[in-house]
Amino acid sequence: MSTRRNLLVFGLGLAVTLLAGWVAFPRVLYVKKQQPLEFRHKTHAEKSGMAECSQCHALRDDGTFAGIPAMETCAGCHSEKMGTSKAEATLVDTYIKPGHETPWLVYARQPANVWFSHAIHVKRAALACTECHSTYGESDEIRIYQQDRISGYSRDIWGHSISRMRRAPHEGMKMSDCEDCHRRHNVEVGCLGCHQ
Amino acid sequence: MKLTRRDLLWGVAGTAGLLVTPVPWKLLDDVSIWSQNWPWIPQPARGPVEVKQSFCTLCPNGCGMRVRMASGWPVGVAGVDSHPISRGALCPLGFGAHQLNWHPQRLRTVRHGASSSSWEAARAAFAKACSEGPVAIVDGYPGRAASSVFETFVQKRNGSYRTLPGPETQALAPYESWSGVPAAGLGYDLENAQTIVSFGAPLLDGWGTPGRFTRLWAERATGSTDPQLRLIQVEASLSRTAARAWQWVPVHAGSEAALAAGVARVLLEEHLVPAHGPMPPMTLAEAAEQTGLSTAAIADLARTIVARLPVVVIANDDNPAIAALNVVLGAAGARGGIVRKSKHAESYTSAGTGINSARAVLIDATAAWDFTPSTNAEVFRFAAWDGGSGTADWLLPAPGFLEELTDVPTAPASAIATYAVAPGLLKARPEVRSAAQFLSGLDPDLVTVEKIIHTRCADLFRGRAGTLQGQGQGQETTPVAKFASVEKLEGQLWKGAVWVDEPPRSAGFRCELKEWPATAASTQSSENWSNAWRAPVLPPLASKLYLESSLREAPDRRNV
Repeated sequence: MSTRRNLLVFGLGLAVTLLAGWVAFPRVLYVKKQQPLEFRHKTHAEKSGMAECSQCHALRDDGTFAGIPAMETCAGCHSEKMGTSKAEATLVDTYIKPGHETPWLVYARQPANVWFSHAIHVKRAALACTECHSTYGESDEIRIYQQDRISGYSRDIWGHSISRMRRAPHEGMKMSDCEDCHRRHNVEVGCLGCHQ
Repeated sequence: MKLTRRDLLWGVAGTAGLLVTPVPWKLLDDVSIWSQNWPWIPQPARGPVEVKQSFCTLCPNGCGMRVRMASGWPVGVAGVDSHPISRGALCPLGFGAHQLNWHPQRLRTVRHGASSSSWEAARAAFAKACSEGPVAIVDGYPGRAASSVFETFVQKRNGSYRTLPGPETQALAPYESWSGVPAAGLGYDLENAQTIVSFGAPLLDGWGTPGRFTRLWAERATGSTDPQLRLIQVEASLSRTAARAWQWVPVHAGSEAALAAGVARVLLEEHLVPAHGPMPPMTLAEAAEQTGLSTAAIADLARTIVARLPVVVIANDDNPAIAALNVVLGAAGARGGIVRKSKHAESYTSAGTGINSARAVLIDATAAWDFTPSTNAEVFRFAAWDGGSGTADWLLPAPGFLEELTDVPTAPASAIATYAVAPGLLKARPEVRSAAQFLSGLDPDLVTVEKIIHTRCADLFRGRAGTLQGQGQGQETTPVAKFASVEKLEGQLWKGAVWVDEPPRSAGFRCELKEWPATAASTQSSENWSNAWRAPVLPPLASKLYLESSLREAPDRRNV
């Protein structure tokens, strides 16, 4: 076999593996899941006057973060159907009227041994919501939830970039991301700061 | 199948290509996370997260603890800053306590010798032993409601109740014999002391309630060459406490009592203190020879000790010569010294003696795992975890961390009386039983722990003394006299408040010491202090903290 053919075989093998690793692997690794409802942050902000994130994603009196609003918050406006869309009908008929919570797939869900305080980051460190959540609060559609088949966690934890290179500051919620951000802000937190 | 050059090139190219893709690194990360979530690894259910105030019950110090619960399971603990004694600190064992209930060595079945047995068989065996002779009950943390159950049980059967005093209580034993005040009713008034002389006690390494002295030290001494609080550490080796102390006095191992006698002689001869005690028979030269210090150094030490008063001397054991130095200094029964914290404390008998004649010995789960009674009696041992190499005839599974209701009486070294209630935040598994429940099964007339706690709360309410210090948000302090009913007072205690007695108006006891006690060689250095109490098992988090910190740990685990 000539040297030229050797190089061709080597290059072909290299190209196939690179293509598999960079393109096919992420597609195979993550399974796409639809959220139970269609939700538009933009519509709620513009039409309902809920411009502040904290109007729905509030901090409780004891400092804990309420996260995704409970069904009773949604029921404040959606106790009856407010439109003719399929999502509206599902919201009212499947969740609000029977009194069931919507089983949202949470992009930022962390293991149980991780403690994250929104209150400390929002109030004491005065971080804007967009620093971690980008402009998601202005989005006009709800993102597809991508679940890692092996770890079971959302793709948002690793970050959209499979190589974790050239990520936007808000991408990625691994422990190293927390450490990097703390290092940038010159804030020291020991192990027990998050793993209480 | 023949391996061709083309196959080799494919393989090399594929491997090289794979290494410059994220596949190996991402798979490594994913597999490591996947291995943390195997189905047989207990995982708390997803659900509401709540924080409850409680107390660590792993040792008698009862540090304030904030327990983070997810769906009713504890998933994290943290110290409570507003706790009057522990002041936000926890030891490594406490920090990992929530992991203990799932420890692989958790006891789940009754064991008789090397085989499994049943609660019915254990109860029958213990009832038979009770009918055949006296029983002894060994309690690790006396003063609790469960302790009252034990005492009542043995009193009705002419048995004996024995305790396992910690090193802090043992060091107070000489004062009990000289004053008649039970050692359990005495404490160290560290908060008002200006100089502390420690004879080997690991004050900066977890002595007493973790956090109490370290916080004091941080506030009044750290970073100052002339601190408000002087710590003089007398010790043969440069222990962690000695290294951080204001002054380290290196003496020959076992010569601490000789140094105490030498210092006392200088104090009395030079009239540096009023004559509170007798002159030691040991001369200064003899003390110098035994300790390895010069006579001038001992004299200097004596002058330094009294340069800033009040002063208190803390021993690491019950060496009477070191306690006698406190008497000479006038620190026994004085503010900033050894004080009387409770008038109701009882005098206990150590488990080291007097159980030889028992037909059966019941050891409560609070006893340190390495306690082995020197007796031929049938031993019934309660334990939540099997620490290995046990010598008990019966091993009985006890409730684990926060799985049972208990009260938390005053910490052993504290200068002020406190009381708290640690409710069972977790429902105990049906296969475990506490020693008090076990005894109640044999004698239904015994008052339950819950009722005793209620009675104690009622006593506090009727006493109208002290304050209730909340541990939650606001940390409000309410005088007991302002509570309208015992139910309200008890309700606050069940929610994690701590009752704190009023500071005693006087230190309140007198020591009669007619002659200097016989000088005995001192026993252990602070390096070996943790021999005095050993947990049966360590949670993974505690192991990590011990390994990565300079905190004390059991000597046999030190080089793991």
